[in-house]
Amino acid sequence: MPVLEINNISKSYGKIQALNGVSFSVPKGSVFGILGPNGSGKTTMLSIILDVLQSDGGTYTWFGQPPSNLHRKKIGSLLETPNLYHYLTAVQNLRITKSISGRGSENEINEVLQKVKLHERKNSRFTTYSLGMKQRLAIAGALLGNPSVLVLDEPTNGLDPVGIAEIRELIKDLAKEGHTIIMASHLLDEVEKVCDHVAILKRGKLITHGNVSDVLSDEDCFLIGSSSSQLLEVMKSFDGIKQVKQTDDGVECYFNKAFVKPENINEFCFSNGIVLNQLTSKKKRLEEKFFELTGD
Amino acid sequence: MIKNILQTEWLKVKNYKAFWLLLSVTAISYPGINGVAYYAFKDSIDAKSQSGQLVKMLLGNPFAFPQTFHTTAYLSSFFTFIPAIVIIMLITNEYMFKTHRQNIIDGWKKNTFVWGKMLSVLFITLIVTLFYVAVAVAIGIIATKDFENAQLFNQSQFIVLFFLQVFCQLSIAFLLGLLIRKAFIAYGIYVFYTFILENILGGLFKLKAKKWGADFGHYLLFEISDRMIPLPPFIGKFNEAENKLAIAAINDHVLYTLILTAAVWAISFYIFKKRDL
Repeated sequence: MPVLEINNISKSYGKIQALNGVSFSVPKGSVFGILGPNGSGKTTMLSIILDVLQSDGGTYTWFGQPPSNLHRKKIGSLLETPNLYHYLTAVQNLRITKSISGRGSENEINEVLQKVKLHERKNSRFTTYSLGMKQRLAIAGALLGNPSVLVLDEPTNGLDPVGIAEIRELIKDLAKEGHTIIMASHLLDEVEKVCDHVAILKRGKLITHGNVSDVLSDEDCFLIGSSSSQLLEVMKSFDGIKQVKQTDDGVECYFNKAFVKPENINEFCFSNGIVLNQLTSKKKRLEEKFFELTGD
Repeated sequence: MIKNILQTEWLKVKNYKAFWLLLSVTAISYPGINGVAYYAFKDSIDAKSQSGQLVKMLLGNPFAFPQTFHTTAYLSSFFTFIPAIVIIMLITNEYMFKTHRQNIIDGWKKNTFVWGKMLSVLFITLIVTLFYVAVAVAIGIIATKDFENAQLFNQSQFIVLFFLQVFCQLSIAFLLGLLIRKAFIAYGIYVFYTFILENILGGLFKLKAKKWGADFGHYLLFEISDRMIPLPPFIGKFNEAENKLAIAAINDHVLYTLILTAAVWAISFYIFKKRDL
């Protein structure tokens, strides 16, 4: 049973369609990345599943049941900016989170503050924190009580490179412990490094979703090289080739998945009088796929 | 459930200095205005002159038991705007810090959030009423000369009326904060309406009262509850006919105030439930 199932969710702000019939499900134990450029509807989607916004249409379920506040108590969440009381300290803020959610204990407050490296400033007021520290405190609030599901909207916002790396490691550790993590981000590198599932949104529409390796490998790409200047022209005549382009590293050839084997390419070139000095299978990166799908 | 709401609301204000500062100002303002009024009155009746003795004969002692409950309730009600600012601050803070969203994300129902604020308004009303009772009793003790014949708690119904008036007016302040969401705009509207607009409207309605057959100024937002505590007799006797009508209308205004307060909270629950956070 998926942890979260979203069916045909739509949401408009006046004439702007923020989400348009989006459906996907989040498997238990997965690290699920929601990707999209700014304004694609990522935060709107997370706001709806956290009951902060009401959808115009569609439904969603948490743990196979219609959503309720009891489900939200089980979910650690960080939505957009850290939403905490400015005049209170880290500990006092986390006590409020604990009181509302029923998650965690006084000891666990100290533990999560140590985890996000805020323990030494635990008695400083929120308003005195840097942006990165505020973000860490919000993450601490989400981690309080070790919830089985985490919803994190741009969790590395405002963090320095070291902080980003630490949060990334934290997310990986949490995933290893079996937590389900739903994470929205526009940092493709970040998502590729920590997520095993992904949904890509563009202008409120779901472009694709699924296992990261499946999303990335819907086609095969080979990078080939030769001293012959005819290579590009010859490969254009390869039967069934989808796309061929010259790059700095050689010629990139795209085929439908499992359509061709490397030895077929080698044979084809050889029969056309070209000897290859390079033939490698190229793995597409999420960034390439993202730009390809979103067209930006 | 109520325990959890109270505990959480307490955690929000326990270490909030501005909250306690404003409550302290309220605490100071009540003995302040009543004390000034009492000593000004005392000075005038203590005067050996003919006019001083005339005032004493005419007005009696409005600060002695049991009239102290009425007089101090009337004077204290001028300072309800201070706790109203506290209430506006509490709700607009939630919007400013976006903690109203976080409270929902962390697991409260939207209704629970509004219940929390309603309990806060109730709690502050109780504190303010306690300030008023303490001042009324203290001034009553100072001003009463003949305790044996004084009917000490004869007018203690004004404690309930004061409580109801403060709760109603703070509830209106809460709704304003909920609607406006921006602290300074909400303060501005509250002060402008309370001190200027309602007085202008009250005056206009009074002018039209004969023509329209009724003074609709009695049903303005704050006037509805203000009229539960009419002018104390020592002032009211200068326009006895109108004062008698005002006293006769107290029960009606209790009912109107209850209806208004219920409506304010019903609207607050509805708005928060329907509004995107």
